Amino acid sequence: MTVVRRRMLTAWAVALVLGSGAFLIAAHSARALPRPSPLDELAYYPSGQALRPATLGHAESAADLAWIRAVQYYGEHRLTDNRYEHLAHVFDILTSLSPGFESAYVFGAFALAQEGRDFDRAYALLEKGIAENPRSGRLSFEMGFLHYVRPGGRDLPQAAEYFEQAARLPGGPPNAARFAAFARQHSGDLAAAYQLWKGIHDGSVNPMLQDIARREMDRIEEAIVTGRRERAVSRLTTPVVLIKSR
Amino acid sequence: MMALLIAQNTFREAIRDRVLAGVIVMGLVLLALTQLARPLAMGEGLRLTVDLGLSSISLLGLIVVLMVGTSLVGKEIERRTIYNLLSRPLPRPVYLVGKWAGLTLSLWTVSTSLGVALWLLLAVQGQGDYGASLAQALYLASLELSVITAIATMFSALSTPVLSALYTLGAYLAGQWSGDLRAFAAQAPDVVRWTLEAMANLVPNLTLFNMRTLAAEGALTSPEHLGLATLYALLYSGCVLALGAAAFESRDFK
Repeated sequence: MTVVRRRMLTAWAVALVLGSGAFLIAAHSARALPRPSPLDELAYYPSGQALRPATLGHAESAADLAWIRAVQYYGEHRLTDNRYEHLAHVFDILTSLSPGFESAYVFGAFALAQEGRDFDRAYALLEKGIAENPRSGRLSFEMGFLHYVRPGGRDLPQAAEYFEQAARLPGGPPNAARFAAFARQHSGDLAAAYQLWKGIHDGSVNPMLQDIARREMDRIEEAIVTGRRERAVSRLTTPVVLIKSR
Repeated sequence: MMALLIAQNTFREAIRDRVLAGVIVMGLVLLALTQLARPLAMGEGLRLTVDLGLSSISLLGLIVVLMVGTSLVGKEIERRTIYNLLSRPLPRPVYLVGKWAGLTLSLWTVSTSLGVALWLLLAVQGQGDYGASLAQALYLASLELSVITAIATMFSALSTPVLSALYTLGAYLAGQWSGDLRAFAAQAPDVVRWTLEAMANLVPNLTLFNMRTLAAEGALTSPEHLGLATLYALLYSGCVLALGAAAFESRDFK
């Protein structure tokens, strides 16, 4: 065997051994390492399917540009016709490119709900965000808030559920537990509300918050004892949409 | 030792080539441009700076590989300096490894310089605590560039600079799509799935070196991720260079 041939065979053998190692690591890392979620739910939508691969691994940068475009789109229509036909689509693409971009879900949902008056799409966007970021207290809180403020369709039990979830998760605002107790109480679930207020009372070091919790607990106790639930449950007025059409 | 000498020489040559200086200047300009876009980002300017900064570093590195890496051997053949080198007792694999190491060192220099510039930019804005995640993201991006350089070196040993650039770009694209290929495979019938998964494992898994999503939030990746990525880069680069060496051995320079 000539020297050249021997060297070639050695090189092939080295390539085979190292390549096998790399192959195994690639397979292992695909299983073992948490990656940004692939676009399973968008697999049959041409825009979502095509867009992420087209960014050549720079989906985050593409999402940033999409964010700037989304803000411009919102601003343009806010200053002119107040029509937001493509807003849901813009935010869907943006959050598909960057599934962990929480601000985009929150801003998109509030723009859709408040200006677009499209609460169903706002819920859908936040649901997508919660599915992608199940440990985000912030997204759960905002979802609860939308259920709480929906004009003509306020859903207190749902709102309370999301507020409770937000109170348990990291990133949820500190007042999430209070919102949960309030929503439970006024939805008529007094037993659950009592427990939530008690949790706030026992867990807080803020004397003002403790006083509020104590007062609500007393009201609930009295309502239960006297059988007059209306003493603890108020009929909440319809929320006012803050930004009106021009 | 000989590989080290060739690496030093390649590094010096790359520095003299002015491509690196041009790329660093371009990187700094891009970083400055991200600052112009900040007011449009409505409170997400920090994220924009980190994302676009890291993407710029990675893409500029790719440009260097395509411009310099793919003509590493071709240029020596064109200048006929390769005859001088190979007539000495210098094994061809050592020559290739030296070339790869030299260019890799140049790329690490570029990404470190631009990374430091990006960190300084963030520090000036009071976000110096992004340093750790930025360092991790840059380390992974540099590993990615090392793998692409190995691929470019292999093609450079086999083909002309233009074709090498096209092949390297193709390998880069395939590597970036490896994750999507795997996601697509998951929905396919068994035989197709196995084939696609095998293909996804054969192409360079460049998604393994991407932690820009985490860096945008200032978060850190796991030591396991860093370890696997390092090992993968070494093995894949080694494999590709060995393939290049096998082909280079059979090449006749008469």
